[in-house]
Amino acid sequence: MTATSAPAAPRATVARRAAGSVILGSGRLLRLELRHNAMLWLLPVAFALFWYNGYREIMALPPMWNLRAMTLQNRLLFDLMVPATAAAAWMGSREGRRGITELVTGTARPRWSRQLATWGATTAWAEVGCLACVAVVYLITARQASWGGPLWWPAVVSAAGVPALTAIGFAAGAWFPGRFVTPLVTVVVFFGLAFGTQAASGDHAYWQVSPLIAGAFDIGAAPGVASFYPYLPDLSIAQVMFAAGLAVAILGALGIPVARMRWLAAAVTAAGLAAAGTAVALAGTGRLDPHGMIAIPALHDAAAGQPVRYTPACNRSPIPICVHPAYAGFLPAVATAVGSELTEFAGLPGAPARISQVAPVYQQEPGNGINVSAHVSGASQFIVPDPLPGQPGGTSDQFAANLAQGLGLQLASHVILGGTGRAAIPGPGQAGLAVIAGSVRFPPSVEARDLAPLYGSLLPQPGSPAAQAARRFAALSPAARHAWLAAHLAALRAGRVTLAQLP
Amino acid sequence: MTAAAVRLVRMHAVSRRVPAALVLLAACAAGLRGTLYGHWDAYGALQLPLVFETACAAIIAVTAGSPFGEPERATGRWLPYLRLGTAVTFTALASGALAVAGTGMPLAGGFPDIVRNVAGLTGIGLLCATVLGGPLAWTGPLAYLVAGVYGLYTDWHPPALSTPWIWPARPPHDVGGALCAAAVFAAGLAAITLRGARERPAGDGPA
Repeated sequence: MTATSAPAAPRATVARRAAGSVILGSGRLLRLELRHNAMLWLLPVAFALFWYNGYREIMALPPMWNLRAMTLQNRLLFDLMVPATAAAAWMGSREGRRGITELVTGTARPRWSRQLATWGATTAWAEVGCLACVAVVYLITARQASWGGPLWWPAVVSAAGVPALTAIGFAAGAWFPGRFVTPLVTVVVFFGLAFGTQAASGDHAYWQVSPLIAGAFDIGAAPGVASFYPYLPDLSIAQVMFAAGLAVAILGALGIPVARMRWLAAAVTAAGLAAAGTAVALAGTGRLDPHGMIAIPALHDAAAGQPVRYTPACNRSPIPICVHPAYAGFLPAVATAVGSELTEFAGLPGAPARISQVAPVYQQEPGNGINVSAHVSGASQFIVPDPLPGQPGGTSDQFAANLAQGLGLQLASHVILGGTGRAAIPGPGQAGLAVIAGSVRFPPSVEARDLAPLYGSLLPQPGSPAAQAARRFAALSPAARHAWLAAHLAALRAGRVTLAQLP
Repeated sequence: MTAAAVRLVRMHAVSRRVPAALVLLAACAAGLRGTLYGHWDAYGALQLPLVFETACAAIIAVTAGSPFGEPERATGRWLPYLRLGTAVTFTALASGALAVAGTGMPLAGGFPDIVRNVAGLTGIGLLCATVLGGPLAWTGPLAYLVAGVYGLYTDWHPPALSTPWIWPARPPHDVGGALCAAAVFAAGLAAITLRGARERPAGDGPA
């Protein structure tokens, strides 16, 4: 026993010491590479680009986690693309640029190992930049948001995209060292990633695997997505798998020329390619679910389709309006936009006791078209129109106009016509049309338009006697209109009121 | 032009990797031509030329680096003129190549846009070469590419960037954008002519 085990103990000790030495040596090498890395110098450029291109627009968005997190995914990697890829290419081409490839061949570590340390240091600094940007946006949003918590998947996708960018840049620099390789590979990556998304068409597009795409391509960051239902991680998982697979495949390919590691490197490359290819295939099986997110059957968790529980935020208007708490900041704007209608119709027969926001329903159309609708039953439900003020292209005036056209007209027509709904109207009387038109407060920007194509069945013809009566009715205060309607609504619905009888 | 002058120009060109740069400029033009055959939405159509213009500017800027340093400066009386001539010739060649590549194709902005953007981006690159050195001269044009692409994006998503310093986002015949691009190009030319690309005693840059 002693004779056989005695030599084994020193061997194990030697092996442990050797392993410890390797780890220690790798740590020192990584530390050296971290201290002398181009990405460290390019971090200010990365931060400046993110501030200019992403941060200002993200912070201008309404403080809703879904909007900001999904926009962050789209912008962050875009802004890191140039500095991260360029720094990696610069570092990868170092030995070739300086003509020391032969000199370092004789060092103790194989070239692949040295390259991985350099790539690791470059990626570490790039990740520091990425995570710092995420932290700033999320911390500020946490202080501003009225509901919900951080969406981590968009941040994970961004963080997973960084190693892929640096791997591409590093490999290009290592394989083609020269003064032109850094700008060229950076431009190529920029072109491929930024413009590759243009090939995405519909919810089955393979290009959805691009880490820049957050959610359905033609919806992007929309307030109705991931508010009423949880954020689906299906597409994010595929994107992370693709980015990680790509990085592993490229890094594995770097080691193939190393004679004693050829098979290991080839296996790593094959595994990476398999992961990336699988992710692309999975992205191609995606479909737009009714809640505006991409569901991938193989990755989908059916439990994730349950609606989010929340306590609505309501106001104290004559007819209370209740919205999803994430929209609480917009409740005053909603109440103001339809305030006169709420005062006018409160308590009348057929008027709802309260009006609640419901989730929009998304449906894929041919190409990149997506139909956004709402399953609204009566006047007691509505959807908050998109875009919200603060979103690209969204203004307060436009938001108020959309509310007047949607919620205001819906409420007025429902009460005046007796809850029959627009589709069931056989042909409302002229007095009814005049009252509807006189009750809905279209903003000036809307009044100037011809609303007939959209609301011809609910509004009088411009210039007609009914339109003149509508102007007369609109001149009354909401309280006066309410009093008149309380006395004449039944007769109005029955068609027994003429235009001349309108106040 | 004497044989000695021709030889001087040739040696200067070779030392700056001008033949390789010419091939790459031609490749950029071919790449632009090839991509213009594709179907792009409004974003893509407007932003696409800027990518190739940036690539050309980065290539021109990188060629500014000298592999010789002090000996060349000490003995080369004609060096400033050679640097000026190289930069101007390259800028003209790049603009011409991209314009030819866009002939008969739906190239957004047309020739005025190409000339303005290539000149301005090259100016940024030459300034970077003066400050950071030739091998790192690509940093300016590539960083500006992101800013320019974002500027074009804001044309659809207000508030649009109205500063003429983001000239790619301005219309092709906009005087303010053209003046800013021309000013940057002139500054870059002056800097590279008078001072040349920065030389780093310890190597070609960080790491």
